[in-house]
This record gives sequence, structure tokens and C-alpha cells, in this order.
Amino acid sequence: MPEPRRYDVVVLGGGANGAGAARDCAMRGLSVLLLEKRDLASGASGASSGMIHGGIRYMLSDRRVTELACRDAGYIRRIAPHLVFRIPFLMPFASRAEGATLAERAAWYATEVYVGTYDLYQPLKGGKPSTRLSAEETYALEPSLRPGLGGAVTLDEWGIDGPRLCLLNALSAEAHGAEVRTWTEATAIDRHEGRVVGVRWRDAITGERGEARTAAVVNATGAWSPLWGRANGVDVPMRPGKGVHLSLDRRFSNYGIICKAVDGRQMFLMPHEDESIIGTTDDDFYGDPDDLEATSDEVAYLLEGVESLVPSVRGARLTRAWSGVRTTLYEYGPTEDALSREHQLIDHAHEGAAGLFSFVGGKLASYRAQSEEIADRVEGFLGLAPRPCKTHEEPLPGGEAVPDPRELAERHGVPEPVARRIVFRHGSRARDLLLLADDDPRLKLVVCRDEGILAAEVVFVARHERVRRLEDLRRRCRLAIAGCGGLDCARVAAQLVARELDWDADQLRAELRELLEANWRERRAVLDGWQLAEEELLRAVHRGLGGL
Amino acid sequence: MPADGAAITCDVLVVGGGMAGATAALAARDAGARVALARRAPGSTGLSGGAVSVAHDPAALPDAPFGGRAGVVESARRIAATHPGHPYHVLRGSLDRLWTAVEFATGQLSSILAPPSGRNRWLLTPFGKVHPAATCQRSMVAGDLAEAKGVLAVVAPRGHLWWDAGLVASGAIRARPLGAPETRVVALDLFLWEDAALARPVDLARLLEAPGAAEEVGRMLAQRLPRGATVALFPPILGLSPGARVPERVEGAAGVQVAEFLSDLPSVPGLRLQRAVDERLAASGVTVLAGEVHGAAGPGAPARVGGREVVAESWVLASGRFVGGGIARRGELLEPALGLPVLASEGAFAEAGAHLAARPAASLTVRDSRSPQPLLSAGLKVDAELHPLDADGRVASPRLFAAGAVVGGHDQASDGTGMGVAMLTGWLAGRSAAAVARARPVLPRRG
Repeated sequence: MPEPRRYDVVVLGGGANGAGAARDCAMRGLSVLLLEKRDLASGASGASSGMIHGGIRYMLSDRRVTELACRDAGYIRRIAPHLVFRIPFLMPFASRAEGATLAERAAWYATEVYVGTYDLYQPLKGGKPSTRLSAEETYALEPSLRPGLGGAVTLDEWGIDGPRLCLLNALSAEAHGAEVRTWTEATAIDRHEGRVVGVRWRDAITGERGEARTAAVVNATGAWSPLWGRANGVDVPMRPGKGVHLSLDRRFSNYGIICKAVDGRQMFLMPHEDESIIGTTDDDFYGDPDDLEATSDEVAYLLEGVESLVPSVRGARLTRAWSGVRTTLYEYGPTEDALSREHQLIDHAHEGAAGLFSFVGGKLASYRAQSEEIADRVEGFLGLAPRPCKTHEEPLPGGEAVPDPRELAERHGVPEPVARRIVFRHGSRARDLLLLADDDPRLKLVVCRDEGILAAEVVFVARHERVRRLEDLRRRCRLAIAGCGGLDCARVAAQLVARELDWDADQLRAELRELLEANWRERRAVLDGWQLAEEELLRAVHRGLGGL
Repeated sequence: MPADGAAITCDVLVVGGGMAGATAALAARDAGARVALARRAPGSTGLSGGAVSVAHDPAALPDAPFGGRAGVVESARRIAATHPGHPYHVLRGSLDRLWTAVEFATGQLSSILAPPSGRNRWLLTPFGKVHPAATCQRSMVAGDLAEAKGVLAVVAPRGHLWWDAGLVASGAIRARPLGAPETRVVALDLFLWEDAALARPVDLARLLEAPGAAEEVGRMLAQRLPRGATVALFPPILGLSPGARVPERVEGAAGVQVAEFLSDLPSVPGLRLQRAVDERLAASGVTVLAGEVHGAAGPGAPARVGGREVVAESWVLASGRFVGGGIARRGELLEPALGLPVLASEGAFAEAGAHLAARPAASLTVRDSRSPQPLLSAGLKVDAELHPLDADGRVASPRLFAAGAVVGGHDQASDGTGMGVAMLTGWLAGRSAAAVARARPVLPRRG
């Protein structure tokens, strides 16, 4: 085992909060080790709705959450402008004015007040104020809505690529001197006289083991916290909730549509990047977060909720059902929906682990503010002079001087839609990425036509974005997760990554198999229509010809 | 007379133009029947990789040498004995005719398919797997690992990323103890100009058809061949049309045998095969109609196909599974052409019968993708005569037969019997349909 290294702080968990905290601490000059047992964003951050919304849903219960979220949404737009896009939402009124009952009228009024109140927070995140639409205007904007609606109010939100947000935070942390280890599990905490003195880790790929000396450990392992805490003799109380989303193969509606589920819960159908997303369920989950799959009742629940407003959704092509476990503060009694999205930093000093802090709760939109709070706390604990947080000012990697996709497309001779996707994912780093393709014209091959992935992009992420497994590319550039399921791209991308990471043929095949298996688990609950035909082809190629 | 053409009366209507449908049509034609074949579009046969997979021994140990493995028919018998839902099991009484069917179908397509020998050929795939096949396209024969002697040179075109010769060769290296030859990767300065670097496989195949192109490749190859090389294995892009003689031209210039490895998608060999099937159907006097058959009443009653009316004494339903459209799932599993019940599958719901179709997708699949998947193996249930069965287990119609992937109970896409089942069921169904039409006609005869 190598000589233990010293760090000011070790952060466990490569989700938004862990990567964000690592970045903030590193930017303040602390020496940081970030350990993630799988890949960055492989938990809840990667399975979020992909929104940095202001949390209008929480306004009734937690106005502070809404304000915090809106303010931070504004900051995230500033530091990663390329990764953020507008999603206007419609909140339709269920019936026509003439026939409305008193209760329905009251509901409209309440909605307008509700959305109007939200407008007060919109300037914080750079959103547009809401508008009241007549029925005619509503149908002109969104013809897929069921007939008989009385109009709608609009609501402005921001979408984001959640996994890449985590990655960019980790890359920025590295640029500020942090050490980031993915696929590396913290196996144990070392304590001495009631204080944390170190962390032991094990690399899941190489089997290498190591030790880090540190006085401060931030546990940001999300849904894994209770299990991890138990193994390390501390209690991390929380109420984990499973959230399932469905992806559709295309932008199914022009706008986001807020719907009501059969049990009255608010849910949505929204265009997001090149697909549409239906979300989300929210159910208590006490199972194993490593063993998570959408069930048929969850799929049916989501479809039924959207069908009440968009009947044609039954004919849509579903490409996957994906799930994550969010952590919420522990409370006994309230329903899952009413649980607070507030967060908490638990100090484990009273359990004989001074220096260990567990982060529970919070939301993606506020990850930066939450990370700031963590960094403040770590600084305080270590007795360091406070240094200002700059994470809301310094752009994330690629967030400065975002290039014009059309210009890049012309200069490098790649299709414009592809350039657009690459600029969205990589911001100003798209320039370096395309330089690879200038040096080697083969790299201009469009590997995935669904997502616009260039061979050069596969090589670029493998070289520069902490890729250790092929499946990491699902989160780096959405490899093989669209409707195609990797029919065209999986093998070719695997070949490219293998060359970069020096895998032999057996490793390549094993990685390919893992990737396909991860995809299969997300698809199998939604196989229908043409997606099922696609599955037959995938099986013929990957099982039949590939033996995978 | 309707503007879109006269009504067609024939003995046998085949629905589907893949390997099963084509075999059925050609077998019925061979038996003297007047045959019409309706097809909506090229199906999964046009997407196949070049292998004609009939059966390989399910009980063979992974380290059993190629030479010591069971022959194709014996392998099919072993599958029949161990896989209760498999069409080979349902047709176990007719398995002695499997070889006749395979020889008939491959013989009809001898312009493109090599004659089968009775034992499996072992062919490399782009994934570095060694794939057993009763036969394959002629351009692939020299790549049979069980036969190749000397050194096998796997060609890596330097200018294109689509294939990784090292990955392909890894299959042969792993199979060395089973009798595979020694393998070397040979890089050629092929496709180095930018247009070619970005071309898709079909375009590359066309490039090689151009005058002089194949000869140039052959000369390049001759200079790079490793000592002892007897076969050069290329990506499956040696021409779109067998008439362009790309492999032969490369061979002539290189002075060494040339073969392609199998293809994944998009598949040039699949396009070639579909084209050969179409040519054979046309040459045999089968009336090919373009169009979907949907919600039809079945044999004896008129059906509309692409604006034409067709009426036939007997039908062979060879419409494929999900890719072909013979079976679909729109909330539940169904058979769109005739509305037959989807009753057969392998795995957990093999005996579920009518309760299979409406189950949610998550219940019809299991977590490990390598396990049998009821959903992917779903299709019609047939009796030993290939008559589809209704929900009560009765023959839907004595004039109706099913062939190919529309018959359920096995994972035809990946279990290594897809083409064999298509040929056996197609041949049997085509002959039976012709016999029924001849013995018990119900339609008024003309001329």
C-alpha cells in the first residue's frame, strides 16, 4: 500500500453536492480528495429531472427553498451558460370558463396567485414572468392538449444536463488541485480519540487500496448514506424517496406541460434536449440503491398522469425508464410529496466522529449554495481563516466564451446539428474537441446520429473527462441511451475508448457488455411499438453476433 | 376494372418476403402452385449479417474443438430435445427433412450462398466472436476458421474507424485451441481520403465496385501480406452486388484467398441477400406485391394488398416478428395481419396462453438480458403442421400456415437458429399450402 497522503478534506460522493463541495473547497485553497464509488453523477444527480427549476412545487411548504433555488439557478446560468436551456411550461386550466364550478374558479385564481408569486422570484434566475393564456392561445401553442381546456398560465424554468454539471464541478476541482478518484469506494473511516483521522479506499477497477490522512470528511453519498453510516458506526437519518422518469424518443410537445397524476400529485411532460421527459414518481424507498429499476406500476402511473392532458402520449415511443433515490430530511408522518427539500449537514461529533459531516436533503438547483455551506463548515471546523466563495463567479470548464455552433460547423466541416450538440455539452472546450478532428479526419465520423456524437467527442471525453469505464460515456455524452440503444454506436465507441485507455479485446467486450446491460435494465419496462422492434435488432447484433 | 389493377386469384398467398416467406413461395412454386407474395418492405432478412445459422450444439463444451462438434442436423435434434417451446421441438417429427429444406433454400439462392456441407462453419464477427453457421455467403467461405490453413490476415483499413481488426482477430486467437489458424492484423492504406473516412458501409462497398478499385486493394494487400498468409479477411464491404466480383478481383490481384467477416448493422451482406431473394422470386414467376396485409379475413376471402385485391386458396403467414411487423406490441401483443392470438414464448410464461399478451413489459422481461426473455420470444403458437392455433388451442384455419419468426417460442434473433427455422418452416408451409390448394380448392377455377 502506498504511503498515506494528507488532505485537508476528503469528500465522499461524486454527485452534485460532493463534486460541488470538492470544487468549492479546492477553490479556497484546501487540499481535497474526492472519492466516488462508481462514476460521477451515477446516483440521484444523474437521475434528476435535469432542471434547475426554482422549485415552484415547494413554494407552499418551503418558500426559502424556492428563493435559494431561484437565486442559484441564476448563478448556474452564469457559470455554465452552454449547459442550460429555457423550458417554458404551461399549467393548463382543467375546464372552460362558462361551465366552471365555483371550486374550479377558485382553483384558477389560486393558480394565478401561485404562479404570480413565483414571478417575484423569476428575476433571480433570469426567467420570464408568467402569462395568462386564453384557450385559443393555449391550443395554438400546444395542439396536443386534450380538448375542453379553459386556458393556461405559463411558467419559465431552466433545463440542464445534470451528469455534465457534476462532471464540470469535478473537473474544476481538479484544475484547482483536487484529486478525483472515480470507481473508488471509501471502505472505512479511521478514528482516533473521537475524531476522524483518515479514510481508507479501494479502487473497484484495479483493486488498489490506499489511505488518506485527513481531519475532515464530508459524506455526500446521498441515498447510500444510511448504509455507509451504519458500516462506519454513525447514524444518518433520512427518508429516501425513489423517483422514476420516462424518456420519449423525440420532443413530444413544444412546451413543458404540468399535469396531475391520478392521486392529484403534480407531474410533468417536458421537452428536454432532443427528447421529452415524463416525471416523476415520489415514493418511499427502503431498498438497495445499487439495485434500482422502474416497475410496471410506476410506468403506468406516469403515463396515466400525462394522458389526462395529452392523450396522444399513449402512442409515443418510450426509450427508457430511469430512476434515482433522492434524500429528504427525516420526518415521520407527512406524505412523500410534502417532505421538505431543505437540507441539513449532520455533525457526527456526538457519535465519536468529530470531523465527519453528512449532507442530507437539498436539490440539484441549489447544489452550489449547498456546496458553499459545506465548504464554510469545513473551513470553520479546520479553524482556517474564512476565504470567500467564488463558485458563483468563476465559470465551470467550457463556460467562458461559448462559441457559435454554426461558425464551428463551418470551420471544421462537421454537420451543424452535431456542432450544436457538442457546443451544448462542451461549451468553449468544443474548440479543442474539434481540433482533434482536424488532425485526424476519421474522427469526424458521426458515431451516434441520435445524439450527434462525433468520434472525436468519444476520444476527447476518454482523454479529458475522467472516463474509466465505457458506461461512463452514458453520462459524458449520452452514448447509447437514446432510442437506438447503441445499435450503431456502442461497438464503435467501445473501440475508440479501448484505444485511449489501452484495453485489450477481452476488456473491451466486458465493458461493452456492462454498457448494454445497463441500457437493457432501463429499457425493459417500456418495450413497446417500434422500440421493441429496435430491441430485436439490438439483440440480434449484440447477443447473436456479439455473444455479449 | 379498378384503376390500380385487376384482382389476383392464386393458389397460395405468402405474407412476408424474408427468408421464410421466400422459401415458402419458392417451395409452393416448385410444387406447381400459382403463388403471390405480399410484402410491406424488406424485413430482418435484409438486415442479416451473412451467416445462415441453422443450429449449433447446445451441449457442446466451450473448449470442444471445431472438428469434434455435432453436425447441423444433429445439433437441431439436440435443441429439439432440450427446448420445449422451440419450433424444432414442435416440428421434431419433421426434423429429418431439415436438411432437405436447407439444401432447397440455399440451392435457390446459390448465386449468393455457398452450398452447406452438413457441419458448421466458424466465422468471425466484428465483435470478435466466432459464430457457427450451416453456410454463409460465398464471399465469406474462405474465412471459415475450421477450414483455413496457414495464417489468416485480418485486414485493417487505416482510413476508417468502423471496424477494429484487432477485436475481430481476438476471436480467432481465443479459438486457437479449437482449431482456428494463426492470425495477424494487416493495416492497409485504405479509405484515407476524407470522404471515404466518413462513408457508411454501403458507400464503402460501392467505392470498391468502381473499375480498378478492387485490383488496387489487391495490389496493396500483396505488398503487406505476412509470411505464410493464405487468407485475407476483410470487413463485409466487398461490393454491394455479387456481379461486381469484388472479392474475386481482389483475390486475382493479391494472389491469396479473400473473405469477408460477418456484418452487424448496417449490413451490406444483408442487402445483397435481400436482393438475391427478390431476383430469385421474380425469376421463379412468383407475383410480388408491395403492401401491408392488415385486418384480413384469411384464406379463401379477398384481401387488399397495396391497392390490389388478392384471393388465395391457402395462406402462409411469414411476416416476421417485431422488425418484420408480423408480431407487434401496442400496449399488448398482437398479430396485425389476421388478428391471431400471440400465445407462444419461452421462459416464465411459456404456458401462460391467452394471459401472455396483456402483461406489462416489465413482467415479460427479466433483469439479466442473457436469460430467456418471454417478450422477445413471443409469437404465434403452431401445431406440428404449422397451423397457427387460436386461444382455445384449436387450428385457426386448415388453409392457413405460419413460417419463420412469426412463430414464437424461441429467441430467433439471437439463438442461432433463425435462418434454419425460416428455411424449415418456410419449406414445409409452402409445400403444405400448395398441397391444400391442389387437393381441396374452394375458389372458382379459371382457364
